[in-house]
Amino acid sequence: MLNQSFSGGIIIPNPHPVEKVEIIPAPLPDQVILPLQQRIGDEAIPCVKIGDKVLTGQVIAKAEDHFCVPIHASISGKVVSIDDQTIPHKSGLKSKCITIESDGKDQWIEQSGCGSDFLHCDQATMIEYIQSSGIVGLGGAGFPAHAKLESIQDCHTLIINGTECEPGIMCDDALIQHHPREVVRGVEILLHICGAQRAIIAVEDDKQEALNSLLMYCHNDRISIEQIPTKYTSGSEKLLVKALLGIEIPSGGFAIDIGVLCQNVATTKAIFDAVVDNKPLISRIVTVTGSGVESPNNYEVRLGASFEHIVSMASPDANQHTVRMGGMMMGVDVKTTDIPICKITNCIFINNIEEKPSTQECIRCGQCNQACPVDLLPQQLYWYTKSQNTDKAMDYNLADCIECRCCDYVCPSHIPLAEYFSFAKALHRKTTEDQYRTDIARERFEFREYRLERNNRERAGMMAAKKEELKKKMANDKAQKDKIAAAMARVKKTKEASDDAQ
Amino acid sequence: MHSKALNTNQIMHQVIYALALGVGAVYYFFGWGTILQIALAVVTAIVIESAFLSLRNLSVKPAISDGSAVLSAILLAISIPSIAPWWVVVIGTAFAIIFGKQLYGGLGNNPFNPAMLGYAFLLISYPLQMTTWAGEFLNLSQAINTIFNLTSVDVLSGATQLDEIKTQLALGKIVGELDLHSISQAWINVGFLLGGLYLIVRKIITWHIPVAFIAGMVAVSSMLYFTNDQIYLPMQNHLMLGATMLGAFFIATDPVSGSTTPKGRLIYGFLIGVLVVVIRVFGGYPDGVAFAVLLMNITVPLIDYYTQPKVFGK
Repeated sequence: MLNQSFSGGIIIPNPHPVEKVEIIPAPLPDQVILPLQQRIGDEAIPCVKIGDKVLTGQVIAKAEDHFCVPIHASISGKVVSIDDQTIPHKSGLKSKCITIESDGKDQWIEQSGCGSDFLHCDQATMIEYIQSSGIVGLGGAGFPAHAKLESIQDCHTLIINGTECEPGIMCDDALIQHHPREVVRGVEILLHICGAQRAIIAVEDDKQEALNSLLMYCHNDRISIEQIPTKYTSGSEKLLVKALLGIEIPSGGFAIDIGVLCQNVATTKAIFDAVVDNKPLISRIVTVTGSGVESPNNYEVRLGASFEHIVSMASPDANQHTVRMGGMMMGVDVKTTDIPICKITNCIFINNIEEKPSTQECIRCGQCNQACPVDLLPQQLYWYTKSQNTDKAMDYNLADCIECRCCDYVCPSHIPLAEYFSFAKALHRKTTEDQYRTDIARERFEFREYRLERNNRERAGMMAAKKEELKKKMANDKAQKDKIAAAMARVKKTKEASDDAQ
Repeated sequence: MHSKALNTNQIMHQVIYALALGVGAVYYFFGWGTILQIALAVVTAIVIESAFLSLRNLSVKPAISDGSAVLSAILLAISIPSIAPWWVVVIGTAFAIIFGKQLYGGLGNNPFNPAMLGYAFLLISYPLQMTTWAGEFLNLSQAINTIFNLTSVDVLSGATQLDEIKTQLALGKIVGELDLHSISQAWINVGFLLGGLYLIVRKIITWHIPVAFIAGMVAVSSMLYFTNDQIYLPMQNHLMLGATMLGAFFIATDPVSGSTTPKGRLIYGFLIGVLVVVIRVFGGYPDGVAFAVLLMNITVPLIDYYTQPKVFGK
């Protein structure tokens, strides 16, 4: 049973529900575009040249950075270009990509992993396979799985996140329903790697089919399956841990810090493929939904295929649409469907263009703080971020905002609160950095002033001492001279006296 | 992507509708006076607000249609005597909109409850007109004649029950000798109470402020009554006389000028309740809602800062 839920959060029904959650295999794309820059870490280094023939699953770019994974060809064919292409980013950014043209054969490279009795493999080998297969978090964060697994110490609980991170997304539900065996075996692999005593697979309480599929394949005492309320943001790592274990991850910390490892179900399945068959991650399940498509559903598609490749399969209507990658809450709008699907593309929203309701003033009604899953006061944060008083906003725990947009959703004045907070965070970072630089500059300046002053003072002291010495010396000299003069005078006198005597 | 719940305009409109029961009770006992006051106040508010919005180079229509100026005007009109001369409500509304709201930057930026600021201004400036209440039902023509002072009509008028009790107590009478009951006041309070409960059910206001407000009044009035039942009223009379329920559910709950944290709202409401009784009993004015609310408005930034909820993971 559930330990306890978290306060806040909002219940949003799937805006475009489907009768049967399927996984429709998308045809092989004619070409794929694979960006070299991943979510974090340095750009991967290409190890193929234009014109090279590549096989499906072949490494085409190597990871130098530890937070990086290699990039594999997702189809077989010919490398046609290595240049800047538009990548999935809200500003329509261009970045270096490898483009492969399909030969239509989909010929795979030879590979072999630990095999189905994987428990004889040791942890390091498994992690090696996970890295070389290019596994990153498929829930949306894109954090490399091997880096997460290597950083684990004293892990007591493994949590497999089978909740959809946002309403409307169905890809994890579909994956559980169609690959329950792989998910459960993937959990066993993860248990083997992290050494946790138990694993919990969390699914939402409205995903009955997914639950049944898992129950059918799960015969391991160490693995339990829990249903959690279908509430937006329960898919977020921190809130999922709270809902399942009743523990709050400390502010600024991660699940790992309290001995909990969280992995998404799709990542778990990919880890299964990687460890058992050393099969690289070259495809993923993507939900295509929204008011602009007639048949929303999930598509299994090769990485690097264009958004358009699967959007066209969901029968979009003839209207003008907005394209959003990610969910309706935290996703970002992109300008075109002519961009490649990457490992973190879990959902594409194709929506008819709607007039946005105009924004009104905040009346401090407090609906936002009731909706906030991390118990902030968005109305106060708004007041201070609007006036760019970021110090005060930080006092109100701005840094703890997870930008889930629950506050935006319930705001009766339709204020884009999360945008203000995101901006304020950036502003605070900048002012803190600026302040740091100013402080350093000021310290340097003050030290320089001090040094100059000290030099002057020392020099003056030295001069004075020297002067004194000189004076003394001169006084000494004078006394000597006087003595000589006196002696001379005496000699002269004596001489004169003797002269006179003569 | 937004929730299908009420937007700001709809919230304001719902509050206005929720006032209907209480206003209905006022009409039932005292006739057309308050209805005319409301009409005058609403017209004044719209004219003044529009003028100020144009002066500030802001678009007039969206701000007027949000209903906030109209709501302030109605709350002020309900609070003042139904037979007050027309210029009282006009001046009061103008003051509330200009000094209570627009000079601070309009909706959402005012630290004080505009209606109560207008009320306090009127009470201090025109104490006679602000304490002479209708004593009987006025039909439309009587109400028009009285408010616009057209022909001299003789309507029954006088102090409110609270005022009367205060005067009698000052003259040396004891509570046992006084008539503490007022059917009209009780029904009007019940009307506003029911309207307030509707707002809570519709999730337009939370229970915190009204409950704490009433708890504050009960606490202080019971304590006083317990120490001396000769000179202090029992708590049920405090709850059913004057502007108690209007204050608890409609005035103290103004989100803009009130506290906004759950714990803060309890403190804010409770202290308003305490101040209402303290002002009624020890102050110079018969009722204390307006001053109590204004005084507590000042403390809101402090209360909010020190009553932040515990943030997740801290």
